[in-house]
Amino acid sequence: MKDKFKRGKWKEFLDWAQNRSLSMLHYCTGCGAIELPPTMTSRYDMSRFGIGPAATPRQADLLLVTGYLSTKTLRRLIYTYEQMQEPKFVVGFGSCTINGGMYWDSYNTIKQLDKYLPVEMYIAGCMPRPEAILDGLLKLKDKIETGEAKGYEEYKENIEFYHKNQEEALGEVQRTQ
Amino acid sequence: MRNEKEVIKLIENNLDPLEINKKRKQNLSVSFTPDKTIQSLSFLKSNSYKHLSTISCVDWIDDNEFELVYHLFSYEDYINISVKTRIDRDKATFVTLKEIWPVAEFYERDIHDFFGVEFEGNDNLEELILENWNEIPPMRKDFDTREFVNEEYEWRDYNGQKHTD
Amino acid sequence: MIEMLMTAIKFLLITIFSSALGLLFMGIARKVIARIQKRYGPPFYQPYLDVIKLFGKNAITHGFIFDFGSIMALGGVIATLFFIPLGGWYLYSMSGTVILVIYLLAIASLGMAMGTVGSGNPQASLGISRALTQMLGYELPFLVILFGLIYKYQTSSIVGLMEAQAGGFMNWNLFTYPIATIIAFIVLLGMMGKKPFDAMIAPSEIGSGPVVESGGKYLGMMMLQKSITIIIELALFVNLFLGGAENILIFILKMLIVWITATMIGSLYPRFRIEDGVLFYWKWPLMVAIVQVLFIIF
Repeated sequence: MKDKFKRGKWKEFLDWAQNRSLSMLHYCTGCGAIELPPTMTSRYDMSRFGIGPAATPRQADLLLVTGYLSTKTLRRLIYTYEQMQEPKFVVGFGSCTINGGMYWDSYNTIKQLDKYLPVEMYIAGCMPRPEAILDGLLKLKDKIETGEAKGYEEYKENIEFYHKNQEEALGEVQRTQ
Repeated sequence: MRNEKEVIKLIENNLDPLEINKKRKQNLSVSFTPDKTIQSLSFLKSNSYKHLSTISCVDWIDDNEFELVYHLFSYEDYINISVKTRIDRDKATFVTLKEIWPVAEFYERDIHDFFGVEFEGNDNLEELILENWNEIPPMRKDFDTREFVNEEYEWRDYNGQKHTD
Repeated sequence: MIEMLMTAIKFLLITIFSSALGLLFMGIARKVIARIQKRYGPPFYQPYLDVIKLFGKNAITHGFIFDFGSIMALGGVIATLFFIPLGGWYLYSMSGTVILVIYLLAIASLGMAMGTVGSGNPQASLGISRALTQMLGYELPFLVILFGLIYKYQTSSIVGLMEAQAGGFMNWNLFTYPIATIIAFIVLLGMMGKKPFDAMIAPSEIGSGPVVESGGKYLGMMMLQKSITIIIELALFVNLFLGGAENILIFILKMLIVWITATMIGSLYPRFRIEDGVLFYWKWPLMVAIVQVLFIIF
C-alpha cells in the first residue's frame, strides 16, 4: 500500500506539473454560469495561469459546479464525474452548493453538494465576481501543489457513504464499473 | 384585421360565453362551461386564431375547483385571447386537445405532472420535469414545501448552530 | 554496424528535436493569438507542462484497436521524418520523395480513424470523416502545382527541388512563381487545421473531433503527433517554396515566419462548413493552379 504520510519525489514532480496546467470543464447547471465568460476573455484573463477549457469529461481535470442542482441534473453530474480520469477535482461555485442558497425551500433542489461528491473548495457569492473566482482558483492551485487536494481518493475510500446518499436522493443510479 | 370590439361581437353572436372581458389593449378573456370549450376552441381556430401559446392551470382551493386557461393568438388581428373553464377539484378530468393542436400533448403532460389533472384521450402522460416523485402533485396549494424540505433534506451544521425554520 | 548505430542515433535526435520544436511553436501560436486579442496569454513553455501533466494521468482504454490506432498515428508521423530535410540534416534522399511524403501523411489520419472505430463514440467518427473529406479537398490543387514544379526542375526529390533554388534569394520559388506560392499557402492552412478550415476539430460542435474519447496518456500522444505534423508541413513548404537553408538556424527562422503569418491569418476567420471548404478548394485555387501549370509547361 502507498505511504499516506509522505509523497514520493515522482508524485511531487507530477503535482508541480498538474497545478500549472488545469483543464476545466464548466458544468453550467444554474445561473452561475454567466460569470465564466468574463473570466475567460480579455479583461480578467484566466489562461495566463494555465487554466484552459476542456471539451469533454475525458479530457478534463477540474469540474466546476456552478449553481443549483435539481435531482434530475444531479444524476447526470454523477455520471460525468465518474467518467473523468484521475486526478480530478471538484469546485463548488456560488452559495447554492453550500447550503441551498436562494432556493433553500424548494422541493426539487439539493441542499449540500458535499454529501454526494467530494468537494475541494467552495467559492462563496451569489454570483461571485471574476476576481473572486480567480482568487479561489489560485488557492486551489496552492492546495494541489502541496499535495492536500485528495478528494478523488476520499471518494474511493468512503464510497458506501456517497452511494448511500446518492441513492437516497435519486432512487436508483446506474453503475458501470 | 379586426378590432377588439369586433372580436367580442363575433364571440357573442356565434358562441355561448359565460363572461367576456377586455383586460387591456389587445388582450381579451372569455370563459365557458366545460362541455362547450372544445367546440369554441375549434371555432376560434378556424377564424384565424391559429397559435396556441400555452395551457396553464390555477388552483382555487376555496371554491374547490381547478381552472384551465388556454392562451390563443392570431397573426392577423394581433390579439391575445385567454379561454377559461372550471373543472371540479376532487375528480379532475378533462378532454384532451390533441386532435386540434398536436402540441397540446406536452402542455397537458406538464399539467398532469404538477397538478394531477387527468386528460382523457392523451395516452402519453409520463412525467416531464419531475423525476422520481412520490408525493402529491407539488403545485397544489395544500402541499407545504417547507415541511417537505425539512423532512427530506439535512441542513449543514455550522459549528453546532443549526438552521432555524 | 557502426553505420546503423549512427543512423539510429541521428534518427532519435531528429525525432526529439522536431517534437520539442513543434511544442514550442504551439506555445508561440497561443501567445500570438492572445496578444491579438489584447490580453496576456499563457507562457511560452505551456505545452511542455501540458504534455507532462497528461502523461501522469490514468487513462481508460477501449480495447486493442483503440491502442493500436494511437500508436499507428504517432508512428506514421515519425516515419515521415525520415525523408524531410531539415536545413542540411536528412536521412534518406532519393527521387520521388515528394510524392512519398504526401502519401505517408495520410497514414496519420488513418491511424486516428482506427482509434475512433475502437472508441465507439459517434462524435469521433463525425470528426474523422470530416478530416478525411478535407484531405480530398486540398490535395488536388497541391498536386497540380507539384507536378508543375517537378516538370520545370526535372527532379522529384525534395533535396533536388531545394538545391534548384540556390544562388541568391531572387531564385526562390516565392519570387519566380508567386501565384503558386499563394495557393500552396492556402493549402497549408487546410493541412494544419487552422481556421477557416478547422471543421475537423470544431471544439464546440462535436466535442473535439477525433480525440473526444482519449484522456490522459492517449491525449498526450495525440499532442506529440500534432507537434511533429506541424514541423513536417512547415518544413515541406519552406523547402519547396522558400529555398530551404543549409544552416539549421536560418531554417528555423523561416519556419517561424511562415508559422506566425499562418496563425495571424487563421485567427481572423470563422469556420467553413465542410462541404463549403471542399468546394472552395475545387473552385478558384484549382483553376488558378491549372492555369499556372499550363503557363509553366508551355
